[in-house]
This record gives sequence, C-alpha cells and structure tokens, in this order.
Amino acid sequence: MTVVAVRALATRRGEREVLCGVDLEVARGEVIAIVGPSGSGKTTLLRALNYLTPFTNGVVEVAGRTLRPGMNEKRDAAILRAVRTQVGMVFQSFNLFPHLTALENVMEAPRRVLRLPPTEAGERARRLLGRVGLGELAGAYPERLSGGQQQRVAIARALAMEPVVMLLDEPTSALDPRLKGEVLAVVGDLAAAGQTMIVVTHEIAFARRVAHRVVVLVDGRVVETGTAADVLEQPRVAATRAFLALEGA
Amino acid sequence: MVCRALALVALLAACARVPQDDALARLRARGTLRWGGDVQGGEPYVFQDPRGGGLIGFEVELADALARRLGVRADFVQNDWQTLLPSLERGDFDVAMNGLEVTPARRARVAFTRPYYAFAETLVTRRDDGRVAGLADLRGRKVGTLDGCLAVDLLRAAPGVEMVLYEGVEEPYMDLERNRIDGVLLDNIIAARYGLPRPTLREAATIGTGVYAIAVRPDQPAVLTAVDGALAAVAADGELRAILARWNLWDDRQVALAATAPLDRDDDARDGLTLAYLPLFLRGAAFTVVISVLAMALAIAGGLVLSVARRYGGRVVQAAAGTYVEVFRGTPVLLQLYVLYYGLAPVLTLDAFTAAVVGLGLNYAAYESELYRAGLEAVPAGQSEAALALGMSRWTTLRRIVLPQAMRVALPGIANDFIALLKDSSLVSVITVVELTKQMTITAVDVRGWLGPGLVCAALYLALSFPLSRLARRLERRLVPAPA
Repeated sequence: MTVVAVRALATRRGEREVLCGVDLEVARGEVIAIVGPSGSGKTTLLRALNYLTPFTNGVVEVAGRTLRPGMNEKRDAAILRAVRTQVGMVFQSFNLFPHLTALENVMEAPRRVLRLPPTEAGERARRLLGRVGLGELAGAYPERLSGGQQQRVAIARALAMEPVVMLLDEPTSALDPRLKGEVLAVVGDLAAAGQTMIVVTHEIAFARRVAHRVVVLVDGRVVETGTAADVLEQPRVAATRAFLALEGA
Repeated sequence: MVCRALALVALLAACARVPQDDALARLRARGTLRWGGDVQGGEPYVFQDPRGGGLIGFEVELADALARRLGVRADFVQNDWQTLLPSLERGDFDVAMNGLEVTPARRARVAFTRPYYAFAETLVTRRDDGRVAGLADLRGRKVGTLDGCLAVDLLRAAPGVEMVLYEGVEEPYMDLERNRIDGVLLDNIIAARYGLPRPTLREAATIGTGVYAIAVRPDQPAVLTAVDGALAAVAADGELRAILARWNLWDDRQVALAATAPLDRDDDARDGLTLAYLPLFLRGAAFTVVISVLAMALAIAGGLVLSVARRYGGRVVQAAAGTYVEVFRGTPVLLQLYVLYYGLAPVLTLDAFTAAVVGLGLNYAAYESELYRAGLEAVPAGQSEAALALGMSRWTTLRRIVLPQAMRVALPGIANDFIALLKDSSLVSVITVVELTKQMTITAVDVRGWLGPGLVCAALYLALSFPLSRLARRLERRLVPAPA
C-alpha cells in the first residue's frame, strides 16, 4: 500500500529551481534514504511532503490527502493539519520546545492535537521515552540534555502522534560523531519495527544497513533509485559515483 | 587652585549672609515689582486676554496700581499656583498675589499685607439634588475643591465628607455635573464664574468667609511695609473699589476690609512632620501599588493582543495596531489621562480610579507590545515549524509554544516597565486620585515644608521599586529559556 506518492514535484526559490520534477512512491513499512550532495534539494523535498515548504508544481499524496501548489496556511489549515498529524518530522536541529521538559515535549501534541487526557498522553510519552532510552530523563529540560539525547526526545515526540510516515531531515548532522551512534541506533530500531520512514542522510553506511531503497538526488532531479546494495555498491550513473567518491564511501 | 576654591566658598558664604532688608532697595533699583501668579487660575484673577494682547484681570490692575505707587513697573511671573509660596521663598519674585487665602498654614510660612478682597466659601450642588443645604447633608459623599485652598481646611473639619482635590477651577464643576462628585466648595468668585452659570448647578450654602492678601517673604519687612502701604493708599483713594467694581467683584463684604492690618508671619502656627502622617503616606503608597498593578495587568493583556496583531494580523489589523502604538507612545500620558477623564466625560463618564487604571494601562500597552514583538521575533522559526509539523493549529502553536518563549525573553523588560509605571502613576493626581506623590504635596502644604515629606515619599517609592529592580536584574542574568 502506498503511503506517499510524489508526482512531478517542482519548487523554485526566486529564479532558481530547487526541485525539477521529482517522482517518488513510498510503500507502507518501507525505509527510504535520500542521499545527494549539499544543495541538491533533499531537505526541500522532505519539507514539501508536509508542506512546510510550499511547492510550485506537481502533486503530493500523503496519508490519503492531496497537497497541491499554492496552498495557504490559513485557508487550507484543515487539510494541512490532517496531513501533519499523520506525518512525523524530525529536524536537523532538533527544535525541542525549550520551555517544556522532555516528557512535556512528547506529551504536548497528543494533548493539544489528539486531545488525549493527560494521564493517557503521559503514559504514551513515558513509554516512548523508554523506547528511545531516555526513561530516566523525562523531567529534564532540553538545555540539560546532550545533542544526541535531544534528538532522541525529538524522535519520541514525532512518534507520539503515531504517524503513518516519519520524515527525518539529516537527524545526525548536527551531532558530533560520538553521539551520532545513539541516534542512528534508535532509527535502526524503528526500521526494524516496521515504521515507514524517509531519511535524508549523509551517513552512507547507515543507509546501506537500514534503508530498503536509496534515492539519489542531484541538482533537484532523482538521478538513480534502487535497493541500497545496487545503488551504493554498483552505481549506474556518473553523478552517483561522483557523489559517493566525495562522501568517501 | 585650592586657595582659589576656598576663596570662592568664602565669597559665596558672604553673599548668603547679606541681609535681606535691602530687598526693597534692589526692587526700586531694578524698577520692577515682580509678582507671582498662575494664569491657569483664570478669570477674573489673571488670565490671557481672549482678544489677544497680554494678561488681564483684577489682580493685574491691582499690581499695576501698587507698582505705580511704588514708582516702579509691575512684572508678572508665571508660576504654578500650588508652589507659589515655595517659589516666593526661593526669591523667584518679590510678592505672590493670586487669590491666596490667608490661612493658618500660609501664615506660618510667610507674611501677608492687609487683605485686598473678602470672599465667602460657596457650596455648589446639583439642582436635582434638592435636599442639600450644607456640608452636613453631604456626609459620606464627595465634595471637590482646589488643592491647597482654604476650603480644604473646612472640608477636613466636616465629619464624613470625602474630599476630592482638583488642580483647575473648571474641572470640579464639570465632574459635579457628571455625578462624579456631589458638591464643590470654592470661593464665591470661582463659584460665580465657573459653577453657577451651569444650568444644572445651584448654590446650596455659604460656608465661612476669608480674605485674599499679598504674600511677602518674612525676612523682607521693608518690602512688606512698602507694598502694604501702597495697598492702603490704593484702598483709601477708591482705586481698589473701582478695580473691583469693574470686574463685578465689589460687594458689602469689601466695605469692612479697609480697617484690617497687615499680618506678620505667625511662628506659633508652625507644625512639623510627625509620625501621625505615616498612615496617610502608607495609604498613598497602597493606592500607588494598586493602581500600578491593575494598570500593568491591563498593559500586559493589551500588549499581548497588539504584538500578536502586529506580527500575525492581516494588513488592516497590522496598520490599526501600529497606529495605536504610535499614537500612545507619541503623545504624553498626561494628555491621555486628561482626554480620557475630562475629554470623554460627555460620552463615557469613568470614575477617577477607573480612568487612572485604564489611562495608564492603555498607554503602557503600547510599550509592552513593542517589547513582546521583539520577544516574538527572538523565538526561532524552527519552534513554530516543529509545532505545525506536529499538527498543532496556528493558534495553539502561538499560545503554547511561541508566546511562552517570547514572554520569557520579555520578562526583564516587563519588570523594568513596571518600575517605570510605578513612578508614572504619580501623574494620575491630575485626575483627582490621591496616590503617593499627591499625598506628599498635600502634606508639604500642611507641614509648610517640602524636604521632609519629599524624603518620606522617595523612601517609599524606593522601597517599592528596589525589590523589583533586583528581580529584573536576576531575570536578565538568567535569560536562558528554561527554569533551573
């Protein structure tokens, strides 16, 4: 069953085309890694999927709803909220709410959006914090947490909405190497548990190990897509080879 | 260098010891009799000629007559009526003459010439308030008068009457018409010109009499003698009568005046600042706190609405909020209080306390909104993105995620603004609210001195603001977003 379908997606920022006609289908349970050089449009593609970044052409079907160019935060609030409620997002810079504890960060959306009673939201949050290995730090404010811990709270926060698909935007690139491992381990566990995910990443080794499919994006176009083994071991396109050489893989 | 400084100090000390008796000689040498008064007191005392061309009034004519007898020219010096005596003592002018009633409090401070006018205190009430025939009928009700005048003493002595103090002669009668107060006790001259012409008001009673005289510094007996002599001459040859008649002020009360003698300073009446005044000051301080707290609450609520409107509203809403901020920041709060209390009275009659809170609150809301706008801008875009990505509505995002962080940034500024508001609340005395500063000026008149009451007042303000400024400093130091 298809969870996300992207057709002919194009966006421009000013005069520059950031994405020029991207097609992508993601089935339930699939883990997709989007790789490519900096500035190739990976983050823009991911943010178009929940319309955090508007696009100029094409269609995105996600969670049973259709996103089109020219939608408006105010006018189309109902559709956008319906989509975002079912699409979890993890940011490169975590974006935890600094005025809330780890537990409150995870509880907030279930309380305010799903209108769960506090006890139920709290139970769910505690369970998820336990799942990302932070059961002990539920009462801590983000400033007291390491980058890796913050990102794990952010993952738990996104999971708390029980999303049909998780979007992870370079989840480890703001972390020093020591802390990357703990976040990648959590993402690996999610993949193993069957969570549908689209991960923008520079971690080639991680992509090879966890992703079912790798999409190579260069200059706003999908230049190659296939299983991790195929794309990363025997790249067919020169652009992929150049990129992989640059990443040292 | 040191020698020269010492010489200068010695010179200054010598100057200070020059006897004041030659003040009259200096007055004659200068060729002017400088007399202090307040144009705001209005007709018929001293006021701007509405047809242009300078000051007119019966006191202007009297001053000219006196100066002529002294062989000099009269020179008017504008001075706030409340502070005529302190300014006289400072030497800003030679005499003060502006409807100054001879009261024990004033006699304890300065010397007076013989009187030039005898007046009665007139109680004015509303026509529809028919049963009032004297102060006794106004027990438990509000009676207005001018701060610092003889009627204040009469009202204090009247049991159960709540006194409301004004700074101008027009305002008490306006408030009487609007039911904000129930009576006005003022000199018959004022009542006749400003109160009784209003069709809804009537004269209820005459309560006590008094006289106007010219105040002179007690250490300048020669000036007192000369000015008093000139006044005696002006009275004796009928010129005073002519002046008063021209202004429709001549009546039977004036006939007996001629026989009165000048009054030297009465040292026995001097009164000091005692502990008995402390409860009054504390009451004033309490008023200051209550007004400030309520006004700040209003300012914070208004500031929130304005800042959100300016950042997230449509173009019209943004423009409206922007205009509000510019108007309220760009005009004096004193003016805003006047407009709110007196200007809007025909359509919206607020009581003084409400007007004070609303006026200060509306004004400070403009400042708060700018503070919160800066706070809103300081919250990273990633915060609202994360909230929207979780499916929160824009309103929930603002209320639960963005505003709490913005307010944390704004908190030290809020504490600072509250300190400023605490001090600005002294302005509400212009709309008859007696808060801490007003209590100070009232007491200063009572004890004939500004220094003591001023120090007590300053100490109380400091006691209120110091803890707040400490709090603001601590908040500034701890600007990290999360509590420890």
